[in-house]
Amino acid sequence: MLIETDKKPDSYKLFPESDLLIWMIIPAYNEEKFIGDVLERLFKMGLNLIVIDDGSRDNTYQIVQDLIKDHPGRGYLYQHPINRGLGATLKTGIEAALKKNADIMVTFDADGQHNPEDILPVCRPIIEGRADVVIGIRDFNEMPQHKKRSNQIMNLITRIFYNANVKDSQSGLRAFNYKAAKALDIESREYGVSSEIIREIKHKNLRMEEVPIETIYTDYSLSKGTNAKIGFKILVKMIREILR
Amino acid sequence: MVMVYQYIGVLIGIIGIIFTLLRFREGKMSLGMLLVWNIIWILIIIISIFPQSTGEFATLTGVGRGLDLIFILGIIGCYYLIFKIYNMIENIEQEITHLVREIALQRENIELKEDEENQN
Repeated sequence: MLIETDKKPDSYKLFPESDLLIWMIIPAYNEEKFIGDVLERLFKMGLNLIVIDDGSRDNTYQIVQDLIKDHPGRGYLYQHPINRGLGATLKTGIEAALKKNADIMVTFDADGQHNPEDILPVCRPIIEGRADVVIGIRDFNEMPQHKKRSNQIMNLITRIFYNANVKDSQSGLRAFNYKAAKALDIESREYGVSSEIIREIKHKNLRMEEVPIETIYTDYSLSKGTNAKIGFKILVKMIREILR
Repeated sequence: MVMVYQYIGVLIGIIGIIFTLLRFREGKMSLGMLLVWNIIWILIIIISIFPQSTGEFATLTGVGRGLDLIFILGIIGCYYLIFKIYNMIENIEQEITHLVREIALQRENIELKEDEENQN
């Protein structure tokens, strides 16, 4: 379940000290269970949202649309007519945010696994001008065994193929400034995008910081994301990319 | 003596040539692919009419038996085609993704806007 921590009033501003324009990028594929709660909390924090429905077959689109109607001008919904994968979805979201001249873009999972309180620490290095990209690092020790192993393997693969050593290559909570988002050149359509982003950070010489974040594990969020099968698919893709 | 497979081979070759020519005329095949396929079909016809010729090729390449050479070439050809098709599908997937993303971006909040227009 989501932890109820938002006792702050609607006027609560995430960053009173800065007037940088922040857009949240939320990819969603069949997320009807939790996306309503997640979006509502983010709206309450005064954030602007870009939601990309990646051809969901459930009620995701309707739920998001109804919520956005209640917050005019602060939420935008994009729909892929057919499912195209996480990579394509993030790309659409980043492009949309760039069109809105976002200063900071934060990718945030729709399944309720991230704690909205982590958004501030993840954005801070960018606001303070220390970094172009920030990756939220999940605590591997709190991860269930099978998740931990597949994420460790993904880290290793990212290191071998892209020569980039990061603590959590598959994290869904990341922040980019305008320059970094513009520089990203993403090809991967599916979950391989997370490793690809790490590669791009290295290739484009972007300044990166890693910030620890909390992960809220539910049966639901555990059923999604990186598992052994997806890990294997990503590996095959990376090998192909090298052979190309 | 003429064997049955020789007739079948020639027949398959001729049908193949007709099909590739038709597809080329309909604009569904490029000139390069037309040439490649016709060379394959003509080779099949020649080999069917002169089966001994494969033996000479086989000794030339050191494979030994003519039939083995045909098998080896056939398998290599199949792999090449699979590789080509794989790449074509990958390209098509990329193009579809591009289109889908473009459609999504152009139709930003489309139903909300329609609602507003209906209200006005």
